[in-house]
Amino acid sequence: MPLPKGSVCLRQARLLLQQEICGLLLAPALWIMLIILSLLVGYSFIQAVDLFSQASRTALSFPEMARGMNPLDGIFVPTFGAYYLAETLLLPFVAIRLIGTDKQSGALKLLLQLPFSPFSLCGLKITAMVLVWLLSLLPAAVVLLQWHLLGGHIFFPEVALLFTGHALYSLTIIAIAMFAATISGSLPTAAMFCLSITLGSWVLDFAATGQGGLLAIIGHFSLAGMLHQFENGLLTTGYVASFLSIALVFFLLSVVWLHPGKRLRNKLAASLLVVAVIASVPALSTFLPGYRDVSENRRHSLNPVDSHALAQLDKPLIITVHLNARDSRLLDLESDMLAKLRRIVPDLQIQYAVDNSTGLFSAGGDDKYGLIEYEYDGHHDESYSNSREEILSIIYKLAGITVVAEPVPNYPGYPLVADAGASRWLFYLVLPLLFLCGGLYSGKRL
Amino acid sequence: MDGDFHRLGHRDFKAVPLGPHGKQCSVEGFCKRFGAYHALSDVSFTLFAGEIAGLIGPNGAGKSTLLECMTGLLPVDAGTISRQGREITLAERRRFLWYQPDDALPFARQRVRAILSFFRRMHGRDGRDFEELVTGLELAPVLAKSLHTLSKGYRRRVLLALALLSRQSLLLLDEPFDGFDLRQSLMVMDLLRRWKKDRTMLLSIHQLSEAEKICDRFLLLDQGRIPAIGTLEELGMQAGLGKRATLEEVFLAFT
Repeated sequence: MPLPKGSVCLRQARLLLQQEICGLLLAPALWIMLIILSLLVGYSFIQAVDLFSQASRTALSFPEMARGMNPLDGIFVPTFGAYYLAETLLLPFVAIRLIGTDKQSGALKLLLQLPFSPFSLCGLKITAMVLVWLLSLLPAAVVLLQWHLLGGHIFFPEVALLFTGHALYSLTIIAIAMFAATISGSLPTAAMFCLSITLGSWVLDFAATGQGGLLAIIGHFSLAGMLHQFENGLLTTGYVASFLSIALVFFLLSVVWLHPGKRLRNKLAASLLVVAVIASVPALSTFLPGYRDVSENRRHSLNPVDSHALAQLDKPLIITVHLNARDSRLLDLESDMLAKLRRIVPDLQIQYAVDNSTGLFSAGGDDKYGLIEYEYDGHHDESYSNSREEILSIIYKLAGITVVAEPVPNYPGYPLVADAGASRWLFYLVLPLLFLCGGLYSGKRL
Repeated sequence: MDGDFHRLGHRDFKAVPLGPHGKQCSVEGFCKRFGAYHALSDVSFTLFAGEIAGLIGPNGAGKSTLLECMTGLLPVDAGTISRQGREITLAERRRFLWYQPDDALPFARQRVRAILSFFRRMHGRDGRDFEELVTGLELAPVLAKSLHTLSKGYRRRVLLALALLSRQSLLLLDEPFDGFDLRQSLMVMDLLRRWKKDRTMLLSIHQLSEAEKICDRFLLLDQGRIPAIGTLEELGMQAGLGKRATLEEVFLAFT
């Protein structure tokens, strides 16, 4: 009895998925990348534990300092920096194989004749890459286990968000690499194309650090800039939507450009349509912003009573800041108050009254430099203070409301003096050997 | 053995009485340009059900380009391909047409057995077909080897096996005899005849001796144009060389 059409399609899709996974597992580039990743993760972890321990020695004597000892910032973010390097510099070389090798070997001409649309073909290829990329979680799992065995504290929502950020970043890199391979004639060209985007994004993020204006905004939405947003315990729908949109754009562009039998003008028209439609997704998410503070120390949240009171402000609150973008006071003000107010106050306007192009040391001519002005419902107040309590009291005074903050438990901090040196052999020997054996086994069995 | 191929070949093929149902596919006015270079100029022909047609032409005549345009792997500037009088879209071509390029090395790092099994299962063939092809093409010694480690002759045989595993009714093979010695070529011809069944084949061949042995009809392609189509006898008559002309004589007369 012939199989139903749906089950035949499913069987064929499974076959192709297996084939693609086998192809990736047979690529030496994958195993080399995993070996390098193990070494990088191990080095980062051991260094991070060492530094965290040094800081903890002092913090253990002073409870105030202990509150600043956060494993997310001290251990996991620096350790996952190794993943950022691998994802940016090594993953493209593996991901371009998805299509690049097929193009080079002529296999693509055969695959395009199989009963798969370019969309299904690209979809199965990207699925194969994502599944194979799960192997890279092994060093991360060892880090979590090691940290736990050392007596370290793990707050899973924070770590899960960090993983999510790297997963989205990896997906985006894979999609970019796939598109690069689709439009390039050779693997080196595809690698150059992909690296120019990922490294360009890195440079942009670096250049935008501490800058204001347009460069800061662009830097914020560079790939590296967006990834940083997942490192501080704040889940923002806008960044998730942006990552997914970029990945989707490059994936759909790969679909459009994959088939060599389509006319150039049709491909260009379809590409414009894809970019126009998908680009609107992050724009839409700015109108429907969603935030969730998953950090254990609630660093992105105000006292619940303050949050509730600020959310009730029904008139525009205008804050004018006379500080240079590179002034540390502004950086503190941004992270501690302004970012939170942006998420809570329904109608907030923040104005930066200093021309950043004049530079930090030329601000002396401005009499108001350092001042923060507040305006609400026709009332005006000003202050040089950037402390949370003072700012909130000014806003409440302008709004004519009285708020009594609820007592909330203090974040205790998790200082830990530990030695991760013993795990050297695990990251520098066992994991690399495991991946080496995996590569050799794949070569023999597949 | 050689005599058998002559008996099965073009001299017994009766193309003329076939009605509209005998038409496998028609190519109408294919034009393809690469910049200022005209690779195909108004190429039109019909393939009949069950025939083995040879696409004959010198190097650079546009044979591979024509096959890729038929498959839809290259966009044509003008022209259509139709089946039973109905134009077929790019997506539809996958259902009845399989093109085997001569330069493919698919999944080169994988073992021959795995590659053949993938295509066998993808086309819904059973294990007997696989065994028959492996035996017929003498692939057993290389099944456990990676494709990229094989000699040119074995690679060609694997590619041929991949093509024959397909189920499409029209098979386009680009240089199927390239890289084979005489004995291997005869073996491949025998296999093609056995595996053709009710399918139509269009073989792009530049070795005239092989083409003469296996093809029922010939499409001569020269500088992107088709100067003549027909059986060898018909081509001999068209060229004024008589019924007994060889393909080589016909080829030289038309190109």
